[in-house]
Amino acid sequence: MTFEERLKDILARMRDAKLDAIVALHDGAHFIETPNPVTVLTGFKSLGPAAAILRGDGRMTLIVAPAWDAERATEQCPQARVVGADDIVEALTAALSNGARKNAGLAGMRYLPSSIASRVAAALPAAPSADTLVFDAARTKTDDEIGHAREATRIAELGYRRLLDIARPSMSEDELAAELKWFMKTLGADDNFLLLCASPHNRAVQPSTGRRFQKGDIILAEITPSVRGQLAQICRTVVVGDASAELAEKYALVVHAMDQGIAAARPGVPMAEVCRAINTVLEAKGYGEFCHPPHIRRRGHGLGFASMRPGDVALDNETILEPDMIFMIHPNQYLPETGYLLCGEPVLLTANGAEPLTAQKAALATVAG
Amino acid sequence: MYTQHPTLLIGPSDWDDARAPKAEFEQRIAALWAAFPDASQAIVFGSAARHAELAYLTHFVPKLEPGIALLSRDGKHKLLFGGGPNMIGAMQPLTFITGMAPLNALGKLIDGWKSPLLVGGGAMASAVRKTVDDATNATAQDATAHVQGLMRTKSPTELAAIGAARDSLNATMKAMRDAVRIGGDAMIALLAGERAANDSGVQDIRTLFSLDGGRTLRPFEALDHTYTDPLQVYVAVRKFNYWAEGFACISNESQPAASLAALLLDNALSAIRPGVPVAQLSKILAVGTPYKLHPVTQGAPVSPLGLSLDAAPTTNFEPGEVYSVRAGLTDGAEQHAILSAMIAVRDNGSEVLWRSGIA
Repeated sequence: MTFEERLKDILARMRDAKLDAIVALHDGAHFIETPNPVTVLTGFKSLGPAAAILRGDGRMTLIVAPAWDAERATEQCPQARVVGADDIVEALTAALSNGARKNAGLAGMRYLPSSIASRVAAALPAAPSADTLVFDAARTKTDDEIGHAREATRIAELGYRRLLDIARPSMSEDELAAELKWFMKTLGADDNFLLLCASPHNRAVQPSTGRRFQKGDIILAEITPSVRGQLAQICRTVVVGDASAELAEKYALVVHAMDQGIAAARPGVPMAEVCRAINTVLEAKGYGEFCHPPHIRRRGHGLGFASMRPGDVALDNETILEPDMIFMIHPNQYLPETGYLLCGEPVLLTANGAEPLTAQKAALATVAG
Repeated sequence: MYTQHPTLLIGPSDWDDARAPKAEFEQRIAALWAAFPDASQAIVFGSAARHAELAYLTHFVPKLEPGIALLSRDGKHKLLFGGGPNMIGAMQPLTFITGMAPLNALGKLIDGWKSPLLVGGGAMASAVRKTVDDATNATAQDATAHVQGLMRTKSPTELAAIGAARDSLNATMKAMRDAVRIGGDAMIALLAGERAANDSGVQDIRTLFSLDGGRTLRPFEALDHTYTDPLQVYVAVRKFNYWAEGFACISNESQPAASLAALLLDNALSAIRPGVPVAQLSKILAVGTPYKLHPVTQGAPVSPLGLSLDAAPTTNFEPGEVYSVRAGLTDGAEQHAILSAMIAVRDNGSEVLWRSGIA
């Protein structure tokens, strides 16, 4: 699928929903858990608040802040009429004054700061939500997004190799995370959701702190570079010093659970089945209680920044899997004997099943202690 | 100044009593109560993108999901963090407040509060704002502007943090200049600068650069080894929660636009003293034919610096404040330059903390 084909699909969905226009909004605070409808419609990742208006006849208006960023937006979205503005709501109101506000749907409102959302709501008081329409249309990735995800995965694996090369006792989590982020930027990553922490017994994977590594630590790394706005992630576990036989055994169990999840991910199957396949392995070993909150919330997730579809790998997600969906499968399991363990791969759904994008699957690793 | 906001804040920001004394935070909170004698509670919101007031009152900078401080006049404060209860290990080091709880406890914890102060409410997502309004019967009083006013005057510890950030800015700019001097392109210079920033222990670094000689600025989107001279850059580095920023026009040759910008900048800096209207600098920084103001700086030639890069503009320069002053110009064709300086306003004038060199 191309970007243009996706836009045609969105226009068809607009006709079905009897919408004359879609107004998409984002505040510029890009976050892995927050979808960005402006990026879905335009491919543009803004510096500040941005809005996109897609009319039923296919005309697009892109409003970006700061105003001086309009030229970059024009370069990247030649199909759009670009408006540079320091106040996007004011510019949006002006752009909608020619009748486009009639039968317009709004996308992205729930993620906006209330200071922007309240003004937009006042300008378009009766507009229905168009979140489902926009994000569902982007549930599968375009050819370009798939290519970017592959490249982001390659960078993530090189970042992991770098971690194995440089992590050592006395280095802090913050120092290692900053170094890895920089290293992956030198390879072309434009952003990175890099959760990295360590402890002899982790309770969760968390943002890094100033804590320094010690022998016996288990380093957890969710390495998530972005290439041209498309994220990919690998989840890895590394021991500082030697890994105990018990830890190796438990890690193998979690990897096996992941393998079962990957095997279960096929077109036509609900996402919940992927989660269930992972849980089944762990429940069979007596870890049923640890397959639910607060120990685990999900077994994977979609990879944005644009759309988060197909959503979480969770028991309550009945989304039917389709070719060209990309998402994470990560058991990321807390076990009482070892603490939290990370293993996960980004996968591309194909007609034959889930294809891990990684060249090398997660395996318990060690660095000198 | 807008930069590309990262999906996760990566870098050291643990609270350290030696650098940011708890007593100073308590004084700030006391000042808030003093200004609102009828208030006994405050709800202070911050997200990874917008958290200056939260950091000012609690040191907490949310790296991932939003945080909310529930301040109480009796001193029994709570810090609510996103991401679930298991995240507490990564959250506690960021603040002196020891009462921590997950963010989803917000509604229960503030249920029935009458007329609490609300700080940073405009940055809340609508659902969070609704939780606050429902729990307090929409009685919260917005105290954001008041806290922003308190934040303008910097204490000695804050000035020390800004000074540390300034030192990192120096190291970053030097690495970029060195890279250009030996023929490096924009990417090489940018990455060398960011490497130097990391080596100096920064909490965050944001950059913008130009591939067209300074006519436009852009964030890093992909590796692009286009060679450009001059190289126009914007760099913001953060250390101990405080930002330093600077523009530089880096070239191996003399650049007429940069020379003129340097003159304008010097004129502007010499005019800064307590009581001078900030708007007066716009007149000094105005340019004549063939130049016009650079689009990046024309709307904001002066910007307060501290815990954020987009603090609200002020009216007059006052002692204790720190500003970024920018001189940007373009002829619309070949010549463009933006230079800047960081200044601290003193009782009898101002001190230049950092200034663009012409290299």
